[in-house]
Amino acid sequence: MSIWSQPTGSLIVDPTPTIKNYARIAGDGYYIRGLLRTLWLSLATTALAALLALPLSWWIVRRAGRFRGLILTLVLIPMVCGALLPTLGLMNLLGPLGVINGTLKSLGLIDRSWKLLGNQTGILIGLVHAFLPLMVLPLVSALDRLPRDVEGAAMSLGAKRLQVWRRIILPLSAPGLIAGSALVFCAALTSFVTPLLLGQGKVATFATMAYQQASLVLDWPFASALAMVMLAILALIGTAAWGAQKWAAET
Amino acid sequence: MRLKTVLWAAITFAVLAYLIAPIAVLIYSAFDDGKFFRFPPRELSLRWFREALASPEYRSAVLNSTILATIASVLSVAFGLMAALGLTRGPLRSRPIVEILLLAPLTLPLVVWAIALMQIYARLGLSGSVGGLILAHTIITLPLSVRILMATLSNIDPNLEDAARSLGARPLRAFARTTLPLAMPGVLTSAAFCFLISFNDVVVTTFIAGASWMTFPVRMYSQLRGQGVDPITLAIGAMIVALILVIVALGEARFKWSRRL
Repeated sequence: MSIWSQPTGSLIVDPTPTIKNYARIAGDGYYIRGLLRTLWLSLATTALAALLALPLSWWIVRRAGRFRGLILTLVLIPMVCGALLPTLGLMNLLGPLGVINGTLKSLGLIDRSWKLLGNQTGILIGLVHAFLPLMVLPLVSALDRLPRDVEGAAMSLGAKRLQVWRRIILPLSAPGLIAGSALVFCAALTSFVTPLLLGQGKVATFATMAYQQASLVLDWPFASALAMVMLAILALIGTAAWGAQKWAAET
Repeated sequence: MRLKTVLWAAITFAVLAYLIAPIAVLIYSAFDDGKFFRFPPRELSLRWFREALASPEYRSAVLNSTILATIASVLSVAFGLMAALGLTRGPLRSRPIVEILLLAPLTLPLVVWAIALMQIYARLGLSGSVGGLILAHTIITLPLSVRILMATLSNIDPNLEDAARSLGARPLRAFARTTLPLAMPGVLTSAAFCFLISFNDVVVTTFIAGASWMTFPVRMYSQLRGQGVDPITLAIGAMIVALILVIVALGEARFKWSRRL
């Protein structure tokens, strides 16, 4: 449907093939900027999720012991609660009268509220929260496959802690890291509830634009074209992740 | 060495706290007495829980969600079990293609699904109907149940069923007495996940549901967009989250859910 068009002000779709919708995406700065903003947010989400998930996963695999089940359950929570309920909690956590600002103010650390909602900071906090499990689960299963004495062996040969991480743990857990990154990136790229609610309608991402076109403007062919662009990016990411997996397996 | 261990634990707990904080705040803020949540709170009460239970609109929304999620997850597990049986056991030559077609939707984003379904439904005249909604929820949950059930079935020895057959059991009976009980943990796991996905879904439902069938997440979503946070939704959300926590804790303890995904 993305190659059809819809005359302005009408709901009837003209089924002659056209590239008008794609030309509109490419030609309109609003959509290009939205696309770039979305890509940047997804990239930042992925990087932050990896940064947080690595120590957590390592700790779950090596140190958690009998608390492992409990901690994995806690990790699963954002995933099984859906997008909306944690977002509701985040709004009360980050809002101008929320827990963070309230605590800091009553401690006298700040006078004016930090603005954590309605901008990219809020969206980023929400996206990382929502998709962190997608990074942790593959990482845990990758780290599980590492023999337990690998670090001990490396350190007995004189390697420093940081070296062990850089030379041994990171390369060996690369498949999990790559899989997790691809999952988080794709999820962040296409999520629309989190950006819409935490951005309070002030930050347009690609998925919220598609939602607007489909549900409010009712220009379905154009919404389809936006969705197709997302799919194309996903396919690209998928292929890249697949290539990276193979490369990581070889080296 | 000691300091490093403490540091690791501190980082881990900070990350865990970040994961749990929104849920904790959600539950906590439901007890705030005021119309608008603020921290530190003025007074704690059960006021919004009482109003939530008394509100007919929210009651019907939660009931709608529950019915929809129950039907969708039963259908999804039933079809998923059939598909998984065929894929792991059957002599299917086109297996790889069927497998890809069944699992691919798992990687497709819900927004793309929603936009596509909306247009197909408009063409078929299914928009806003309950049947269409059930169908959509079955579709979005099916890949997950197929995936979990395939993993479960591939760990069960098919010879057990053959043994039962050779002892005179008919095919259906042989399946019901050997494979099905062994697959039960997988069946329950996929049913629970399908239920949660369907129950919590906003994306697909907002796109295709009409005003006639308002599910709880959709009601909450439109409320949030329109008037901001309604304390009643906080109270219901807190109750739902508490229920989910119990389900997930049981699932992890009994069936090791985190390993089945």
